[in-house]
Amino acid sequence: MTPTAATRRAPAPAAGTAHRITATALRIAGVVARRALLLVVLLAVVFAAVELLPGDAADAASERGESAADLAARRHLLGLDRPLWERFADWMTALPAGDLGTSAQGQKVTDLLADPLPNTLVLAASAFVITVVSSLLLGCWAASKPGGRGDRIVSHLSTAAFAVPEFVVSVSLLLVLSLWTGWLPAATVTGGDGRPATWTMLIMPVLALAVPQTGWNTRVVRGALADQASAPHVEAAHLDGLPPHVVLLRHQLPGAVPAVATGLATSTGLLFGGAVVVETLFNYPGVGSVLAGAVAARDTPLIAGVVMSAGAVISAVLLAADLVRHATLGARA
Amino acid sequence: MGVTRRQLLRAGTGVSAAGLLAACGGGSDGSGATAGSGGADRPRTGGTLRVGALGHGSAITRDPHGTQANESDYLILALVFDTLTVPGAAKNTAPRLAASWESSQDLRTWTFRIAEGAVFHDGTPVTAEDVVWSLQRLRRTPSGAARLPGIQVGNISARDDGTVVVVSDYANADFPLMTRFSSFVLKKGTSDADIARAPGTGPFTLDWFRGGNARLVRNDRWYGPAVHLDAIEVTMFETPQAMANALLAGQIDLASNAGAVAARTARSRADVQVLRRPDDMAMPIVMRTAADSPFADRRVREAIRLVVDREAMVKQVLSGYGTVANDILGTGDPRYAKDIPQRGRDLVRARKLLRDAGFDLSRTYELVTTEDISGLAESATLFADQAREAGIKVEVVKQESGAFWDRTWKSGDFYTSYWGTNDSVVFFASKTMVSEAGQNEAAWHDTGFDAAYREVIGSDDPKRRAAALTALQRIEHDRSGYLLWGMADGIDLAASKVRNLPKLPGYGRVQLEGVWLR
Repeated sequence: MTPTAATRRAPAPAAGTAHRITATALRIAGVVARRALLLVVLLAVVFAAVELLPGDAADAASERGESAADLAARRHLLGLDRPLWERFADWMTALPAGDLGTSAQGQKVTDLLADPLPNTLVLAASAFVITVVSSLLLGCWAASKPGGRGDRIVSHLSTAAFAVPEFVVSVSLLLVLSLWTGWLPAATVTGGDGRPATWTMLIMPVLALAVPQTGWNTRVVRGALADQASAPHVEAAHLDGLPPHVVLLRHQLPGAVPAVATGLATSTGLLFGGAVVVETLFNYPGVGSVLAGAVAARDTPLIAGVVMSAGAVISAVLLAADLVRHATLGARA
Repeated sequence: MGVTRRQLLRAGTGVSAAGLLAACGGGSDGSGATAGSGGADRPRTGGTLRVGALGHGSAITRDPHGTQANESDYLILALVFDTLTVPGAAKNTAPRLAASWESSQDLRTWTFRIAEGAVFHDGTPVTAEDVVWSLQRLRRTPSGAARLPGIQVGNISARDDGTVVVVSDYANADFPLMTRFSSFVLKKGTSDADIARAPGTGPFTLDWFRGGNARLVRNDRWYGPAVHLDAIEVTMFETPQAMANALLAGQIDLASNAGAVAARTARSRADVQVLRRPDDMAMPIVMRTAADSPFADRRVREAIRLVVDREAMVKQVLSGYGTVANDILGTGDPRYAKDIPQRGRDLVRARKLLRDAGFDLSRTYELVTTEDISGLAESATLFADQAREAGIKVEVVKQESGAFWDRTWKSGDFYTSYWGTNDSVVFFASKTMVSEAGQNEAAWHDTGFDAAYREVIGSDDPKRRAAALTALQRIEHDRSGYLLWGMADGIDLAASKVRNLPKLPGYGRVQLEGVWLR
């Protein structure tokens, strides 16, 4: 952080900009390299962990009545008779070409994830946007009158929302919005294009994911704003007689951004985790349900494929959050 | 949504009666294998049936000869492709692509005649060469030896354009039964790469398939009876709960194999039919009979069978959606021995048998179970409670599925198992009870049983075969390693407009070619 802060004070603007861009690029490259390395380690752990579970993909894909010789043939077909490190190396070397291997049932992993991954991204991204907007609105509203009635209500509601797990939210939504009132479709039915047949099928899954995360992030926003409230420049702004909402938006909020960005970045991981539960409950065709089935079937290439794609997305989001935090902190330095 | 809630409610008024009739299994309408049709109604042609079937995105397979872990995949394959034979009602094996079959005197050579007028969806006629190639392809898969037992690749051949000859390594009176499940016929030479778009011969052609979901349209050239539906849309559901919710909300017309919990939820809805397919799932308790097992003494096994309260099990574990069984597997077999007296609960006799056998009542016995299918773990828990009343201490151990199949199945002393094909006594005898059976779950070796079994599959005299089959069931009832307390119904939920739904257990649930919409 210090190098960029230093370049901001550089006297020659043109040279400074170029320098800054290079520094940022280097920084991004470094972060990307670190994250990629982390992902490789994670994938190695996945391969090893599946190996440690009892049973293997050949067992899971076999039918009752197969003899030991049949099972051995199946194991050979799936390459499970080769050492773990060799299978891992094979999978990793095919990865740069976009080849994620073959599932235990003989389908290409990229085919199995081609529709579910975008579907989950749409689900998680929609939930994320709703989380960002509503937590900022609620947090700012609560912070506008600290200790007021609005603040207390938001505080209680957000704690409650975060404390309720996704499946409770899902089941409640399902009962009220679908089975009792008939307003929304109860389950997701997928069309020939691999997407949910109607957009209304997204509403409940998105809400089920967004509600708990909004609860958490509202508390983060509110807390960060409270921290900023006692900062000298905010107190000065108040003493200057600026209207409270101006102080809140112009002086408190910018300072709260780093903490808020970190909170939201954490949410992306939780959104993916929650997607496993929510997708199952609403029959949403995403990677969460693929992952759950793959673990049960000890389908290592498929599990690795899901971990790899989800890991890449989460890494990208964390990187973005890093950059936001960096940029804002840099600006204040 | 194609049908509004109000339409469903209106249509629902006359339905519960039809649903009840279907549940009672009235098969007098001639269709035999299907239910849900009001006698006065004439089938109406047209419409799209929206079906929900269970499956996981991770387990999708498109290969008719692959392992179909997903019910949704199997449903789609079974409507697009034809097997040689299919499950039947009056006889458990009914014709499909094979119009007829006969065996040689020694019951080793089986000759199948291909149905007149059978053509692939692209118009080319089905030849014996296609059938031979398909059976050989099936035999070469890792599960080939289990699916076509006793058949070598080289012993499948074509006699002429319309006749296929299969020679078994041993006499097997029930071989045609083995072709019901996966003898799907493809065109000779279909490559693995083309398998997903390969033309079938079935009542429906594939319009599209994506991510486990599919749309099928009627094949007007099908050689079988008239198909009434224009199209079938299959939606894959990961859980029975989500599937039942979709049905209750009117998003699908049929929830295939939705289970007892869903049936309980739907029971109060007048606009939903709850269809029961009896003898769908067996959940026996397995007692290992080998010498080092606490259940080696047949008196102990008899006592355990006398301890269970079968009515209570059916009522509580299956929510009443099932029937009491008599420790003989294959309850749906038309030749099932109904005259063997039903075993009931008799704690006094059980205690005496245990005393006589010197069974150690101070020990706690572990009963291993899984949550693979709904009700299985509950059955173990309830049984443990009932055993306690007889002074036997049973502790239920729940294992994760992978661990169970890897470590307990076929080697544990005391565990729960489950079987989805229950319309053949011989099937179970050959798969799980005869001494050399590959899946002899209880490690049971009984010379009397083995002799009866060989008589059943090796005798060409129907009378002797029938007598041997009764003897076999009696021995199984008396001293096998199984406690079979009851049979779970297969349960489908359907909107009231759906008619002529499948009635048979197990894979009979995919027989949707006769369905029509009112």
